[in-house]
Amino acid sequence: MGIDVTELFVVITAIAVALIFDYTNGFHDSANAMAGPIATGALRPRTAVILAALLNLLGACLATEVAKTISGGFFDETLITVPIILAGLVGAIIWNLLTWLLGLPSSSSHALFGGLIGAVIVGAGLASVHGWVIVSKVLLPAIVAPLVAGIAAIMATRLAYRITRRTPSTHTNSGYKYGQAFTASLVALAHGTSDGQKTMGVITLVLIAANLQAPGTAPQWWVIIAAGVAIGLGTYSGGWRIMRTMGKGIVEIETPQGAASGAATSATILASAHFGFGLSTTHVSTGSILGSGVGREGAEVRWSVARRMLFAWLLTLPGAALVGGLAALLSDQGIFGVIALLTLLGTACLVIYFLSRRHRVSHANVTDSHEVLVLAAATPPTTYANDPRLDPLKPKKAKKAKKAKTKSAA
Amino acid sequence: MHIDWAALGTVAVVSIAMSVIFTILLASGIRLVSAAKIKSNQGGSSTATVSLGYVLLGLAGLLVLFGIYLIVPQFH
Repeated sequence: MGIDVTELFVVITAIAVALIFDYTNGFHDSANAMAGPIATGALRPRTAVILAALLNLLGACLATEVAKTISGGFFDETLITVPIILAGLVGAIIWNLLTWLLGLPSSSSHALFGGLIGAVIVGAGLASVHGWVIVSKVLLPAIVAPLVAGIAAIMATRLAYRITRRTPSTHTNSGYKYGQAFTASLVALAHGTSDGQKTMGVITLVLIAANLQAPGTAPQWWVIIAAGVAIGLGTYSGGWRIMRTMGKGIVEIETPQGAASGAATSATILASAHFGFGLSTTHVSTGSILGSGVGREGAEVRWSVARRMLFAWLLTLPGAALVGGLAALLSDQGIFGVIALLTLLGTACLVIYFLSRRHRVSHANVTDSHEVLVLAAATPPTTYANDPRLDPLKPKKAKKAKKAKTKSAA
Repeated sequence: MHIDWAALGTVAVVSIAMSVIFTILLASGIRLVSAAKIKSNQGGSSTATVSLGYVLLGLAGLLVLFGIYLIVPQFH
């Protein structure tokens, strides 16, 4: 046991932070499988997240081989140290929480790669990152995934409506809902096998880097269980803000659309896993929902929401890299740096959590609206405290007065 | 710079084909079963229609099972 206390502390911290990342991964991606069924009412919100959580846990435990590399080819694997992994995870967690606050689905894998890339750049310089890999593994898939899934969903939606055009909707609804529930379950199971595995890989690498585990060996049983439970709990907690954007924000989903987009999502995810062209679950399921909106006549697709999402996707890697890089400045400074980093991470989580409470989205109100508010409209205007029209005690009157004024101005 | 265009093409074609096949099976199954229900409510016999409907729904179910087979590594 040639390990000193400081190193052990950093290792334990890194494992704990990896499990927190796994939790955010779960609730960020809960919507990928379940936003559709919840929006159409195929599954009740609680039932849907419990089902997804169990399937994610099961999927994580099924995974036989763990991703041996977490660098994804973006940089030299030998550059990875425990402080770099820790900083990368912090970057990924904060990015995941920020996008969740805004209700934007973004890829958790990209956040993890981004965080690690930022940390590596701080540790070893810009030249150590392979720029072209970012094009082929981030930019291209981010365009391909929604295109392929979108086209599949457009065609499937058109067909579904055409085939059951004359069938009474009382007869079609239950059938389509079953179809949707089954395809969503496939997506949840596949997510558990791929993303649960990622955290196991990270923890195993930490243990290997600290000489607590022989290189090239399989993950310990407790790592598998812990990662499975963390992603399951995260999925169960629901990530309702993202659920609302995907289920309601992009387009109003009817049951045939839901079944079609579910089919497109699961087919694309399984095909991409099987034929080795990695696509993000998040990008695929967003693309399918978008496609099912384009495919149904008269559906109103909110392109502004889609555009915001695309920006979030493109910003995920650099954004997480920025946070990861800043975190690496601290995580490399020994035990006090790590403690400072943990304090900052805790504070950031709390701030984001309290901001999210201002306009809370939960299982109870997830399908009530299509907007995820953060600070906007509903906060009482405090800047003009002396303006009688904006008296917070008489909000109705104030509104009327404002309206009257705009009328007279016109 | 290496991009696996062949894998990309396969993924695109297979994804779209499987989505379309699954939807056709599901939607046709639903339509036939519904048509059979309406017919039998009007006093007609509809054994053939209803069985064909359930065969199609069963095939859609088989596709889901195939999906599980693809996901679970222990099966292959």
